[in-house]
Amino acid sequence: MKRIAIALTVNGKAVEVVAEPREHLADLLRGTLMLTGTHIGCEHGVCGACTVEIDGVPQRSCIVHAGSCDGASVRTIEGFADDAVVAALRESFSREHALQCGYCTPGMLVVARDIVLRLPDADEARVREELAGNLCRCTGYRGIVRAVLGVLADRRAGSSRAEPR
Amino acid sequence: MTDASKGLGVGASLRRKEDARFLAGQGRYVGDIVRPGLLEVAFLRSPVAHARLAGVTKPPGSESSVFTIEDLPEVRTIRANSALPGFRVSEQPVLARGKVRHVGEAIAACVAASRAAAEDLAAACGLDYEALPAIADMTTAHLPGAPLLHEDWPVNAFLEIRRTDDVSGLDAIAAAKVTRTLRTARQCMAPLEGRGVLAEWDPRLEQLIVTTSTQMPHVIRSGLADCLGLDEGQVRIVSPDVGGGFGYKGILLPEEIVCAALAMRLGRPVRWLEDRFEQLSASANCREHHYVITAWADRAGKLLGVACEAIVDAGAYSSYPFGACLEAAQVGSILPGPYVLPLLSCHTVAACTSKPPILPYRGVARTGVCYAMETTLDALARKLGITAQAIRLANLVPPQAMPYRNLVGKVFDSGDYPEALRRAVAAIDVDRIRARQAAGEAVGFGLATFCEQGAHGTSVYHAWGIPFVPGFEQAHVRLSPDGVLEVRVGVHSHGQGMETSLAQVAHQILGIHPDKVRVVLGDTALTPYSTGTWGSRAAVMAGGAVAEACRQLADRIAVIGAALLQVSRADVTVEEGRVRRRGAEGSVGIADVARTWYRAPQNLPPGVDRGGLEITAGYRPDPDTGTHSYACHAVVARVDLETGAVVLEDYVVVEDGGTLINPLIVDGQVLGGLAQGIGTALYEEMPYDGDGQPLAATLADYLLPGTTEVPDVRLEHMATPSPWTSFGQKGIGESGAIGPPAAIVNAINDALAGLGAEVTDLPASPSRVLAAIEAARRRRP
Amino acid sequence: MVAGGARPGAGTQSLGPLLNLRLAQPETIADLRHLPDYAGVTRAGDVVRIGAGTTHAAIEDGAVPGRVGEIMATVARRIAYRPVRNRGTIGGSLAHADPAADWIGVLPVLGGSAVAIGPRGERRIPLAGFVTGIFETALAPDELLRAIEVPVLPAEARWGHWKFCRKVGEFSKATACVLAAPGTPPRAVLAALDRPPLVIEDAGALLADPADEAARIVAGLGEMAPWRSALAQAALRHAATAAGAP
Repeated sequence: MKRIAIALTVNGKAVEVVAEPREHLADLLRGTLMLTGTHIGCEHGVCGACTVEIDGVPQRSCIVHAGSCDGASVRTIEGFADDAVVAALRESFSREHALQCGYCTPGMLVVARDIVLRLPDADEARVREELAGNLCRCTGYRGIVRAVLGVLADRRAGSSRAEPR
Repeated sequence: MTDASKGLGVGASLRRKEDARFLAGQGRYVGDIVRPGLLEVAFLRSPVAHARLAGVTKPPGSESSVFTIEDLPEVRTIRANSALPGFRVSEQPVLARGKVRHVGEAIAACVAASRAAAEDLAAACGLDYEALPAIADMTTAHLPGAPLLHEDWPVNAFLEIRRTDDVSGLDAIAAAKVTRTLRTARQCMAPLEGRGVLAEWDPRLEQLIVTTSTQMPHVIRSGLADCLGLDEGQVRIVSPDVGGGFGYKGILLPEEIVCAALAMRLGRPVRWLEDRFEQLSASANCREHHYVITAWADRAGKLLGVACEAIVDAGAYSSYPFGACLEAAQVGSILPGPYVLPLLSCHTVAACTSKPPILPYRGVARTGVCYAMETTLDALARKLGITAQAIRLANLVPPQAMPYRNLVGKVFDSGDYPEALRRAVAAIDVDRIRARQAAGEAVGFGLATFCEQGAHGTSVYHAWGIPFVPGFEQAHVRLSPDGVLEVRVGVHSHGQGMETSLAQVAHQILGIHPDKVRVVLGDTALTPYSTGTWGSRAAVMAGGAVAEACRQLADRIAVIGAALLQVSRADVTVEEGRVRRRGAEGSVGIADVARTWYRAPQNLPPGVDRGGLEITAGYRPDPDTGTHSYACHAVVARVDLETGAVVLEDYVVVEDGGTLINPLIVDGQVLGGLAQGIGTALYEEMPYDGDGQPLAATLADYLLPGTTEVPDVRLEHMATPSPWTSFGQKGIGESGAIGPPAAIVNAINDALAGLGAEVTDLPASPSRVLAAIEAARRRRP
Repeated sequence: MVAGGARPGAGTQSLGPLLNLRLAQPETIADLRHLPDYAGVTRAGDVVRIGAGTTHAAIEDGAVPGRVGEIMATVARRIAYRPVRNRGTIGGSLAHADPAADWIGVLPVLGGSAVAIGPRGERRIPLAGFVTGIFETALAPDELLRAIEVPVLPAEARWGHWKFCRKVGEFSKATACVLAAPGTPPRAVLAALDRPPLVIEDAGALLADPADEAARIVAGLGEMAPWRSALAQAALRHAATAAGAP
């Protein structure tokens, strides 16, 4: 089978790989690049476990062709070590018991970070709406929702302290 | 210092030790593990429910990459027998032999360098079969004249069970009698991670190493060794991080056996990872029950008796190890629920159908039985004109009767069942709901009370006679030379946080900081035998075993510590991580004891106990009939009469799990189970058509609840210790998944009561709710 | 490539699952996202041109200006989930023509046209007639969907959109959209019923008497499961009411 060459940036590093035309990004990340923090849960775009950041926004890596990522910048759960928002989310996820088996957690964090940055004023209903595309089978979601709301509240409190009017 | 230290033991909401790796994406699941030379397997699976198999045509040139049962003559069939009288055991070949008995049954294993290439091979295989009639409906499957799935059986039933109290006189004396026909849906358990197997043969150790996503590594080892004709020492099972279990991974898989046989045959590591389509369309299901239930009560609502005809759709095969009848055999024994019931007549059939086998899913039979009993109670209350709480209070076992043996012989250990109900009702403004109803709103209030037998042991399971009967649970504790404690247990953790809670138990006994306690799980080479994690048993059984092993280790530590302090054993205690003199100054740290034993033995006194600082201890509660946690769920639900949609406005759980080892983790268990119960109540359904074809192939068809479907549950604890367990803890892992269908449908039916409509079948989907409303409309002129 | 039989792909948020399930097995997929001006929104006079490759998320975030943009942003926010919207495109969704998808149940009421490009150049296909069947469109086999052109709407245009999903992000089980703009007859579309969308060019009767007219319209669709029929009627009633019906 014909293979295609792809050049992309993954977690800040330029990589050149070859993939089968039918390979999806999640398989490329997990297989060729051994970034197994991106999990595969359904391979039809519903469960959200494979969510990664592509060109700065969360996307489903299981329904994105590897070949279509030529030139793209991809960030996986392994690429957030220096990210303050994810650090705060990790802390609040643990505090609120927002994870059990850990399988949904990487995708959950990628989406949660997007919520925190894109919707700083989100209330509980909005957070629940935005998280609806990430399934968790263990927690019942209460901890996850509270963890995200907690980071939002902390940031609001922090920014109001930083920018007094 | 003392308070801070106690703040890490039993009862502390310690954050989980395992969180850091999961939050970093460093969890290690089967699918994350690769080996040089790895071969991937895809299975050719049956496209039809029932057929005589004439043959498989392998694609030209791939004869050595495609394996059918004829190619694996050394592999035995899976037999999951039961000691229950009349049980018919199925012969389940690991790949179809002669017949296929459900859609998705594995027929051939196709091996290639990648999964995609293996799937290409499977797609290129030819399949020659003669279709036979499907047996898709459990209500007719076992009747005479139905086509037979297992042709040497007289009927399509694994088992029939009867308990026959005489209820014939109740019509004459009862103030009310109701009969309901109820149905629960076939479900998929749907952990986010599917099953996965990586099998390899180690020629040096002459050992088969199978890395598999399982809840019960030791039981899988026994089953696998048996099917492959190996001795158990030749098999090592490793279960790494498991991405959710819920019962789905409590099974010896045909795929596990096939991968192991192929790894031995090919001398290469062989892997199969279940994809979601396989999980939904081919793998084991759960929960499908049918009830015709009648209950009688006096004017005050006191139950006089219950009669029930139940059918459980057990699918095509008896799965190893739990067998086909764990659900059916329990219907009659769970029906009395938490109530004082004088008479019970119950006939249950475990029907054999051309569908995947069923497995015990979180809650096991209780979820369906609770649904049947609790909705029937509400129907009785409506007929009597009394409230849902009144009829329950009239029947709940009172606290002064504890421990209480009910009419089927179950013994409830402790608790105040009526108080849980009172608290749950008090948490909801029922008057306001009544006012809204009076104003014409379709809003309702629903209750469910139930208890959850957990950690039931030898005395219960030997009667069922399944392939394993749990006995003494073991834990191995080992003090390292640096004073770190290793705790090795044969149960497994798949989200339950046992690396944390068992460390808390060890800390409670020894005072070693939980950060210095390493809990080792999931490897038969590293852990003592255990039947694994299922049946809400780990906190009681493994918790008890770790406590027992730590107590015995404490004694060894005390002996050495006393010698180092130059006092007698009787003059020291072990606490807060040190050996201390009683009533006097002077102590030595456990780490110093360990260092002395391992690295400075010249300092040990002559005649010291040579047993060392490793202990394996066994534990079983006495009696071992199981703890009974219990709960009351109270729900406010609003029904959209136009669309049939149900909104959960409020959800209250009052739960008693005895002493909580880690309340944070217990809350997580209850809330997670609850979300699954909401799925059972409102969303999840694996429909089969008359030809036995599964109709939900993706998660767009099989709906799992998400953040917008699960409310912000209010959870309240009572904490009545069990008198039988090491800290008073009770099994509580399944409780959350038991109550929701009953409580939610009771709330829906309360909302629809004014219309005379009742939902009877699960899930209470919009179409079913609308159909119930329409049926009521048609009944009224 | 497309003329040679390649399957065009944009965000592949609908095609991807079908490929993974082996329900679609194209020989070749042509990635359209590299076409010049494939994404993006421009306004020329009274027409807004939306590149077929414009993502749902861009539309959600206000890429389309004016009143029509407000309507489209509201619809976009309820398409699947944000990570899907970040890659899925309006053109891909429309050309895929899944009967339960969102844009095919909304765009016909806006008027305007789909801009197709092929070997014979560009042509415009009215949006009301673009979807011709289940997974079928008016595009010729050698044509691609290039853009969607919709007329700008006056601020006083009223509209209603209602869809029923059992859970957030799920495929709709019944969708209706009604637009009442001054100067033209109100339009309506009823979709997500396992059949191509029903476009009602003059929905005056629906706005005048939503309940009866909804029942009449749905009855005209023939045999349907009772609950889907109930949902379809509810969709039409709610959309009509939001668009100004009494």
